[in-house]
Amino acid sequence: MLKFLARRLGLALGILFVLSILMYLLLDVALDPLDDLRTNPSPNRPVMIANRVAMLELDQPVWVRYLHWLGRFVQGNFGMAWRSGQPVNAILSTAIPTSIQLVFASTVIAILLGVTIGVVSALRQYTAFDYAITFVSFLMYSLPIFWVAVLLKQFLAIGLNDYINEPTINWMIVGGVALVSGLFWVGAIGGEPRKKLMVFVCAFAATFGVLAYALLSGWVQHPSIGIIGVSLMALATAFVVSVLFAGLNNRRALGAALTAAVVGIGAWYGCQWLFFYVEMSMLWMLGLLVLAIAVGALIGWLWGGPDRAVSMRGAVIVSIVVSVLVFIDRVFQGWQQYSQMGTIRGRPIATIGAETPGLGGDFWITQLDRFTHLLLPTIALVLISFATYTRYQRGAMLEVMNQDYIRTARSKGLPERLVIVRHALRNALMPLASIVPVDFIAMIGGAVITETIFSWAGMGRMFVTSLGQSEVDPIMVYVMITGGLAMVANLIADFLYAVIDPRIRVDA
Amino acid sequence: MTNYDDSPVRGGAAQGPQAEQAANDSDPNISGDLAHDDAATALTAEGATGRGEGVGQAKETEGLSQGQIVRARFLRHRGALFGLITLSSITLMSVLTMGIGPIPGFWKYQDHTRSGDMVNGGEPSLRLPFAGGGFAIGDHPFGQDSIGSDYFALVMSGVQTSLFVMLVLGLTAMIIGVTIGSISGYYRGKIDMVLMRFTDLIITLPVLILGAVLGRLLDVIPIKLDATAAQREALKANMPLLLAVVLGMILWTGLARLTRSEFLSLREREFVDSARVAGASDWRIITKHMLPNAMGVIIVNVTLLMSVAVTLEAALSFLNFGIKPPNVSLGLLIADNQGAFATRPWLFWWPGLFIILIALSVNFIGDGLRDAFDPRTRKIPSDRAMKKAARELAAANPAAAIQEAK
Amino acid sequence: MSTTTPAPKRAAAPAPKVALDSFQRLSRSTGAEVKQGDVILEVRDLTVNFWVNDSWFTAAEGLDYDLKAGEVLAIVGESGSGKTQSSMSLIGLLPKNGRTTGSAKLKGTELVGMPQSELREIRGNEISVIFQEPMTALNPVYTVGFQIVETLRTHFLMNPSDAKVRAIELMRLVEIPDPEDSFNKFPHQLSGGQRQRIMIAQALACDPKLLIADEPTTALDVTVQAEILKLMRELRTRVNAGIILITHSMGVVADMADRIIVMKDGRVVEHGTAADVFYRPQHPYTKALLAAVPHLGETRIEDGRSDALVVKDREFLALEPADDPSVVPALLLENVDITYPKQGRRPAFRAAEGINLRLNPGEVMGLVGESGSGKTTIGRAAVALLPVSAGKITVCGIDITGANNQELKPFRKTVGMVFQDPGSSLNPRLPIGESIGEPILLHEGLKGEALSKRVEDLLDSVELPRSYRNRYPHELSGGQKQRIGVARALALNPKLLVADEPTSALDVSVQARVLKLFSNLQEQYGFACLFISHDLAVVEMVSSKIAVMTHGKLVEVGATSDIVTYPQHPYTQRLLSAVPVPDPDNQRRRRELRDAIIEREHIVS
Repeated sequence: MLKFLARRLGLALGILFVLSILMYLLLDVALDPLDDLRTNPSPNRPVMIANRVAMLELDQPVWVRYLHWLGRFVQGNFGMAWRSGQPVNAILSTAIPTSIQLVFASTVIAILLGVTIGVVSALRQYTAFDYAITFVSFLMYSLPIFWVAVLLKQFLAIGLNDYINEPTINWMIVGGVALVSGLFWVGAIGGEPRKKLMVFVCAFAATFGVLAYALLSGWVQHPSIGIIGVSLMALATAFVVSVLFAGLNNRRALGAALTAAVVGIGAWYGCQWLFFYVEMSMLWMLGLLVLAIAVGALIGWLWGGPDRAVSMRGAVIVSIVVSVLVFIDRVFQGWQQYSQMGTIRGRPIATIGAETPGLGGDFWITQLDRFTHLLLPTIALVLISFATYTRYQRGAMLEVMNQDYIRTARSKGLPERLVIVRHALRNALMPLASIVPVDFIAMIGGAVITETIFSWAGMGRMFVTSLGQSEVDPIMVYVMITGGLAMVANLIADFLYAVIDPRIRVDA
Repeated sequence: MTNYDDSPVRGGAAQGPQAEQAANDSDPNISGDLAHDDAATALTAEGATGRGEGVGQAKETEGLSQGQIVRARFLRHRGALFGLITLSSITLMSVLTMGIGPIPGFWKYQDHTRSGDMVNGGEPSLRLPFAGGGFAIGDHPFGQDSIGSDYFALVMSGVQTSLFVMLVLGLTAMIIGVTIGSISGYYRGKIDMVLMRFTDLIITLPVLILGAVLGRLLDVIPIKLDATAAQREALKANMPLLLAVVLGMILWTGLARLTRSEFLSLREREFVDSARVAGASDWRIITKHMLPNAMGVIIVNVTLLMSVAVTLEAALSFLNFGIKPPNVSLGLLIADNQGAFATRPWLFWWPGLFIILIALSVNFIGDGLRDAFDPRTRKIPSDRAMKKAARELAAANPAAAIQEAK
Repeated sequence: MSTTTPAPKRAAAPAPKVALDSFQRLSRSTGAEVKQGDVILEVRDLTVNFWVNDSWFTAAEGLDYDLKAGEVLAIVGESGSGKTQSSMSLIGLLPKNGRTTGSAKLKGTELVGMPQSELREIRGNEISVIFQEPMTALNPVYTVGFQIVETLRTHFLMNPSDAKVRAIELMRLVEIPDPEDSFNKFPHQLSGGQRQRIMIAQALACDPKLLIADEPTTALDVTVQAEILKLMRELRTRVNAGIILITHSMGVVADMADRIIVMKDGRVVEHGTAADVFYRPQHPYTKALLAAVPHLGETRIEDGRSDALVVKDREFLALEPADDPSVVPALLLENVDITYPKQGRRPAFRAAEGINLRLNPGEVMGLVGESGSGKTTIGRAAVALLPVSAGKITVCGIDITGANNQELKPFRKTVGMVFQDPGSSLNPRLPIGESIGEPILLHEGLKGEALSKRVEDLLDSVELPRSYRNRYPHELSGGQKQRIGVARALALNPKLLVADEPTSALDVSVQARVLKLFSNLQEQYGFACLFISHDLAVVEMVSSKIAVMTHGKLVEVGATSDIVTYPQHPYTQRLLSAVPVPDPDNQRRRRELRDAIIEREHIVS
């Protein structure tokens, strides 16, 4: 195992090394640091040119410059963006976390959504639902992200901000959304015509009702989930998780999940008190999440029964969901305060940057600020990338459903739910282990356009700016980091796959 | 698994390291004696797996060559048909209106850079029947941009550029990728290792980054080489071609990996062995036996690559690293006019619409081709059709009970 | 490949500690206890239809039979006969576009028309299925023990530990070595035979009334098949289930079946007891089928045939002395080793070792062995598709050891090869004529009219219409494609023909025709042939000499009649005794011999 890892690492370093040489040479040809000076009419021009040449060592042959660069690089000195005089290390320290923040939320959402819809689409192959989803995913896949981003800025940001200040309800839109939602759920669940009708009516009514309530009660002006919302969603999650993973017959699993939900609801009250009296931070949040998971596991374990693991799994999922809900709810509680703040001036949905400069406020206000800034870019990224996951997962699921062991499972008399969740899903989701790490890393590098449009000071924007300004150092660093991350991602993917797939983990 | 990935057109992600390993490690020759198992399976494959013992499949393919079968299947695919029609219409429209190369088109504003007086604030004069006022094209159906140029001309030229770049890019990538992949897959061993490491190198970087750098390079080259004014003009005019070729030189990686894995599996097919036994040279085996059989998969992926190319080129132009004036590209149009969205939305909608339509059509065509080449996807009738058919059957056998299949 | 593990001393099977009756049933049961001789399944006028291309296609029609507990009913047919579909329809496992009509009563409960939810309670519980391909039929990510336990806990209210105990009992019943340990193994860690045993254990878990075995041994080696058949016979007396055995192999039928149904094109053409069908067939199709199946000759285990060429321990089989030293052998292998080089992570693998073989001109030698024996490797080396790593290969006097492409050019004209899989041996993009004509084009440079004439001659010789030149492979049947393969191999009038399992992928009747054609051509053209096969009966029909291989080594070489009637090496004996013959009385005698040998060697694979 260790030898394998060492070999891969060595190979990765080798590739990175060659990559650095190639890029440096390429950049030497592609960049022209003297471009603005050539057209400068100032009489000082020769002096200025000479100065710049000296500063950038342009009189030296390229391999010398490369060696100098390499020497600095391995010591951790990543050079300087010479036009602004900013050291690259400083730029990076903010750029990297920014990029990661941007990409993380959208990757998680895209995966969850894409995989779920892909699986459902595969199970409903050849139905209208399947065709519709295929069409929609093709459409999204074909959208240019910059075009989408501008549209989002207009409709979601400006439009929403306007709406918040002067709400006008368009019932046609509400009705339309409810209709689409009804059709979606009918397609996803399927069944006999009577069942379909019932599902449609319920989904339509529920969506319409929720939207109407939200709009009429001015929810958009002060969004919140509140104890009612948290309770309802917690209980609903408990039910769904139990039905899906344990089956309705498993009373203990249902009990465990419901208990976890109730405990979570109780925790909501406790948390309100905690948040009021104690200053919060990200560390606190993580700690509380870990605590929630532990409590959920304990609840599951206590409910016990012969299938302890199933109960524990259900309870843990419920506790995670409830924790997230509590977090979101608390953040939303600061909405009014946030909107009135000086720099926000009643237009909370942001279009520029990762955070509002000079905002002040406590942990919750900063989190809310982050949310509003993340909203648009995340939606843009999710729209594009979730299509890929949907298509991919659909294909993988279809392939698995055609395998012999699915037929064996059915012939053993397993209920269809078990056939899909236990036998098909496990095999269909395995390849994700190798795709997700690589894709995540690729997103970091590829979010260049999103960062540019929304003015996030991430790595992508650093790259674009430097490329336009012919600054070598930031570009080289960017290339090395993305390259290095890609290697790491591949390693992780390999490792994960080896762990998950018993055919590799356990040698014959 | 390999057949269903369309995202990592460059072959980076979804091939999965394991698929890579499997392709590296497997040598069916070793288990050659297990072939009798496969044979036995083949013998009763239709029956034993319950996939339908010869259930009418032979009927579908009587008397037709491979190409004809594929074409028939392709045309049955509704999405592909839609894509084909849309793409051809767009191409036709752009060629007819703006001409192609030196041949002029029929539109009155042939020179898209020509500025003019603003009519009606630059609003589009296109009227559609249902918006009241009947159908009219008017002088400036897509409106005018900020300096008064006809937007329709601009968009159509942009469409042409995009289509051109897409085709050239696809072709370049195909040539490079298929060559590398086929050599790698056929000869294996050292050559394979070297070529694959090289491919890995290129995959490592995000396309946008490399494309941006190369785009910048094309900008800067004339200065570095001290080109004359005439040379610079020529370079500028041919920028789309150069850009397409240069981008093709970095986008071939997915095709290479794909061709390689196809070749790895085709290599073990018995007709290749038979050609070897007959004494065919390597070249003949590759070109006459293996490539034609791999072509299906290759073409599907080339079309998918082309759809990515359209969006990529637009993105690069948007970032100002792609197509630049005097050439026009849809991405460039959007970039130039993004600020005007609030006041003059048509400047924004039209180019975006065309990018989407082109990318969508190509995607659908690719999907249709994939379905046409892949014999596995069988048309199972919809629930409604089945119920109707079952009723007919019940009518024919009134006495018997009918068992619904799963 | 078999992993030989000594089985535990076979005492009487222990009484099950975990009686299923003590657990609450989650799924309903269709009626009272079943005794030997009760009728458990009554099928009347069962018909299966498929909706394809907007019309109904009948896969199976008008099945009528009764099945008693403890009885084995074999449904025999070639591909396309509808045998599988008719049985899958009993439990509702048809593809979405299938419909069943008619009646099938399981102990009085009507199965046809039962809603899926009720059928689910029957599947695995009252009716179990054993499928053909054990590797793909088991889920690769779960342990085999878990998959058995799963079946139990679906139909009975059991906690995991009780279910595990019962699962281990079942594994012991099917003679899996070291069941406690194997419980936690994954399917890929077991051999093919062991996986099939797990499938059987899984099928028997809930004490089903009816067991459907769909080609249970087709994907296994002959010797492994013999063991599984032995196991199934023993279980049959112990378990009160009725068994429907679906197969295309008449030998297996003769070994196992009490009653037989013969199907052709969806219809039942013959129905009766085993004796009736085998000895007094009525329908012409049955008669033709029985006539087409190759019968292996009688085997006796007697030691001491003095002239036998048998390998001794830790040595390689010596070369047969030549009858006439002046005759140049068609194929000569001297001390040949063939090794597959290291590929990626897989280490180097020695496929064949120390091979000494002589094939005289005009002679047909059968090279037999099971999977992994190395016989295909030898065949490929003989046509220079594989390099040898040691030793010397000479074909018709030309030394091809280590020769490169240039040197091999003259040699190419002297050999031809017929491949196994008709589906993949022809380039799907080329019309038949081009495939056949390729060797001629490459070596004699003929084109146009001349080439056309040669191609037509070849088509004539394999008894196919000349118009087939312009057809594509997908338009032809398996047998036709195989004839094309033969035609192509003979295009340059070779002196040596290597046939690698040429008929294994074909239906029995088609196989008989192709073999007959092959014999005729061999007589006519007089080429020497290395006939590689795992099917001894086929080999006995066509060859005059037989060479037996296992694990990369030759173990015995001799005249066909000698090898078949008086095999000397233990492996040859085991191999021969394992082959089932399509004759119930005969097979009964052979069975005793076979079982004795299996016991003797305590093999569990």
